[in-house]
Amino acid sequence: MRVNVATKWTNISHLQTQISRYSTHVQCRQAIANKNSSVNAFVHVSGAPSQLGKDLPLSGLTVAIKDNIATSRMPTTCSSAMLKGNSLNVHSVHGPVKNPVGLLQMNDPVEERSAGGSSGGSAAAVSAGMCDAALGTDTGGSVRLPASYCGVVGLKPSYGLISRWGVVSYADSLDCVGVLASDVHTTKQLFDHIALYDELDPTSAPNEIREQASRHLAEKAFSTDSSLSILKGLRIGVPQEYFPSEISPIITQHVRGVISQLKNHGAIIIPVSLPSTSYALSSYYVLASAEASSNLARYDGVQYGSYVKPPLGTDLTKTSKIYAHSRTANFGQEVQKRILLGTYALSADAFDNYFLQAQRIRQLIRNDFNRVFDIPSYFSDSPDHRHANTDQGVDVLIHPSAIRTAPLLSESKSHNSSLDAYLQDVLTVPASLGGLPALSIPIARVKDDGAGSKDEKQWPIGVSVVGQWGTDQLILSVGEAIESLQQ
Amino acid sequence: MFLRRVYAHSLKSRGFHDLRTYQDDPRWPGWQVIVGIETHAQIKSRRKLFSGSFTSGVDDPPNTNVSPFDAAFPGTLPKVNSKCVDLAIRTALALKSSISLRSSFDRKHYFYSDQPLGYQITQQYCAYVVLLFINIPMLIAANMPAPIATNGLLEIETPQNSPIQVRIKQIQLEQDTAKSTFNPRIQKSHIDLNRAGTGLMEIVSEPDLRSPEEAGAYVRTLQSVLRAVGSSDGNMEQGSLRCDVNVSVNRKGDPPGIRCEIKNLNSVKFMMAAIIHEIKRQTEFLNANPGATVPQETRGFDENTFETFRLRSKEDAPDYRYMPDPNLGALVLSQARIEEIKKNLPPLPWEIRSRLLNKYPSLRAKGKSLDVLLNVNNGREVGFDGEDSGGAVEYFERLCQTPVRDGNRGPERDPVVLLNWLTHELLGQLATRKETFTDNPLSSSQFGELVDLVQDGTITGTSGKHLLRHMLSNPSSRRPREIATEFQLIALTTSSSSPSTALADSSATSELEILCRSAIADLPSEVAALRAGNKNVLNKIVGHVMRKSRGRADATATRALVEKLVIQDEQ
Repeated sequence: MRVNVATKWTNISHLQTQISRYSTHVQCRQAIANKNSSVNAFVHVSGAPSQLGKDLPLSGLTVAIKDNIATSRMPTTCSSAMLKGNSLNVHSVHGPVKNPVGLLQMNDPVEERSAGGSSGGSAAAVSAGMCDAALGTDTGGSVRLPASYCGVVGLKPSYGLISRWGVVSYADSLDCVGVLASDVHTTKQLFDHIALYDELDPTSAPNEIREQASRHLAEKAFSTDSSLSILKGLRIGVPQEYFPSEISPIITQHVRGVISQLKNHGAIIIPVSLPSTSYALSSYYVLASAEASSNLARYDGVQYGSYVKPPLGTDLTKTSKIYAHSRTANFGQEVQKRILLGTYALSADAFDNYFLQAQRIRQLIRNDFNRVFDIPSYFSDSPDHRHANTDQGVDVLIHPSAIRTAPLLSESKSHNSSLDAYLQDVLTVPASLGGLPALSIPIARVKDDGAGSKDEKQWPIGVSVVGQWGTDQLILSVGEAIESLQQ
Repeated sequence: MFLRRVYAHSLKSRGFHDLRTYQDDPRWPGWQVIVGIETHAQIKSRRKLFSGSFTSGVDDPPNTNVSPFDAAFPGTLPKVNSKCVDLAIRTALALKSSISLRSSFDRKHYFYSDQPLGYQITQQYCAYVVLLFINIPMLIAANMPAPIATNGLLEIETPQNSPIQVRIKQIQLEQDTAKSTFNPRIQKSHIDLNRAGTGLMEIVSEPDLRSPEEAGAYVRTLQSVLRAVGSSDGNMEQGSLRCDVNVSVNRKGDPPGIRCEIKNLNSVKFMMAAIIHEIKRQTEFLNANPGATVPQETRGFDENTFETFRLRSKEDAPDYRYMPDPNLGALVLSQARIEEIKKNLPPLPWEIRSRLLNKYPSLRAKGKSLDVLLNVNNGREVGFDGEDSGGAVEYFERLCQTPVRDGNRGPERDPVVLLNWLTHELLGQLATRKETFTDNPLSSSQFGELVDLVQDGTITGTSGKHLLRHMLSNPSSRRPREIATEFQLIALTTSSSSPSTALADSSATSELEILCRSAIADLPSEVAALRAGNKNVLNKIVGHVMRKSRGRADATATRALVEKLVIQDEQ
């Protein structure tokens, strides 16, 4: 999905910073003008702001907004024909976002690659320098995968920390607003200002729980003397299930490299097992599709959006027969497929075997995480699980963000490979099911033999840091350490 | 309404089938009728159940109270209106239900033009409960109720029997739909979103009712309970109370029959007619098809023919694809909140009755008038969000308080007299004016003083009625005594030592005498007949005086005075 761009203004006390910020903004507009025609990331660019230098914390930061987040001045279309979007996503006719990493390398023209989805526009915009940071949404990996494919930082915060008011719901129990930026510092800067309680979002974590989470973290007394000092004594778990057979060997190799660097700087590396991981993907697709089938029921073309007049002879006494025309014409094929899957999972005959079963697996996934983390889950009904665990748990988990580098666009378009496309999410969905914070950090650019031998370009790979609910600041600090190890 | 649940409901009925002893009904001898009712009562809250927009009255222009959430705009999220929850708790307490400290919301999916979300948020699915965990709904335990309250009880009075207990299966919170009006001429539906998202309580009875009359009594009693606790105005004409009725018949001694559901009945009269027709239809079917069972159906009611008609069979029942609402999670109530609501629960009609009888024992003899008062009280405007709007009982109790004026306590007011004046005169005159108690312009202190004036003889009863009529047509804040004086309604007395000394001065004394004397002068033949011993003509002379006094003369005093004057003249 592609993005809108907006610029927010803040107080930057230092004059030079302000000027440089301003020039960043101008540079971003320039970059959009130069590159968007090839990258295809933006659907709408706001006009130049009327005033500069207001005393606001995010002053001068140019931010792209995913097109499924409502803004006060720009259209919100989800890049879907249903909401009269004039642009469509990878599964539709307008054309996909192209991974800017390939476009910006001056090699021979080769096959174009995908930026990943569904926040691919946000990741591509950051990667191509068309904005300083971007908002995306992450339901099962939609921020972290594109971040990994485009070589940028992508944060999926703990569920409930950033308000979903204004976010077009896909699967409410999984949807999170995420932040993408070229470095962890900018990611944190934006995150810190938007992770606030919002009474308009019934799933927004109340302030007392946020405070409790930061107290727990403070008790751990992690050193913040330098970006690397956090690693001293940090217990990092490496979940064995996150290196499946499908993973590209070169990715495993680089992630191992990062892990040994972390160890060299004082981190304690602990192999852990999250045995329910293999069921996560099935659980995720049942739950996300079920919720999506429910959330997308509102797009009937009556109150808003595109309406297709039913042809003469349609049975007007059945409402569903009238809606069917708008929904058939305006939902893309992938959307229709997921609605059908979700509708089936909720039907009376399938409910117990699919929806309920998937909920049970979701609980098993959560239990897995709670077992390995040292910090307890603030919401668990049984706070003793920490003591039930005789071994000291881990502070964070680390694993590859994706099983591969960015796929070819031709792959994502072909229908028979759609199961492979779902498989891409295998490493990202467990944190989504657990509501846990996860941060993808770019660690290398590699020549990828998996996608085709002719490709001489270097493609980014990312590593993910996952923490217990509410430890977003911890994973950002660890991410900053990993980032500084790359330099 | 929900076939999955209702099916279980009818199976369960076999278990408690014999809670009620069979009574033969001469209209359908040998048949037992079993009725259960689902009532949808609109919650009388200022704002809707999940959006901040106001609820609407019948006069609001279409689509004026609509928030983006009501119109199902993407990016909007629901937020529970705690006032609606409080009113549901009030209802649950009044219906002696057990309140779930954790209940949950579900989505019931179906496409219809009056439902922009494509689903209704309700509290239906009972197989498991959703708990709050990082605000993510999660599966935890089986067999906990999803509705906010279950297992209630409502006692109803029926004309034929001693009071019967109707068990309330559950009370659930849900959203009302929009209003859709199909215009066949232009083949278009008009949709008014004002009602969309208004809070509803679905109150489901167990199949404990055995006749159309009992069903009627149940709905009326439920209506009075809802009105008393202020949770709904229960107005069936305006659609704030709707009923779906489940009816089955079986031969005496047999297990209960297969039920049919008749949907959307919007008056007690129609509901009873629908049950009667359904009994007739089902018994005729069973008589014509021995050994068969009635096909399970959902039926409608035709208000013109008073007959039910088939809407859909069990096989056509839609699959509503219930799903726990992932945004709302669990509705968690604290015991303290329930206790607080219990403490401030407005009294129920039967509680008010016994309280009044306790406070004013003399009213025991005035059962009928007390019923009138309680009915009027129940008919009061129900305030928003459970706020008390003050009713006839409150007015009556203020009347009963003896006023203190100028530091002096007046004579004790008699509750029986006040109740008579209130139910006969005030309500009577309001009725002739085609007005109700809510239109009453007299404050309790005005009306109380008016009754005082009559009671202490300052004005006659007739004058009191005149004065009341005048005050109803010319509402003002003036004191009745002042108006009575202005209109010369002060009673004519025989002596200057009138009990109301301030205004009934000696001129009034002579006025009655003047009136009597002029009557004697005007009616010489009657006076002659009286002198001749014909006591009957005395009434005619007194009547003459009464007319001339415009009701100010007291009949007994006038009679005595005329007699005295005639005899004086003789001497």
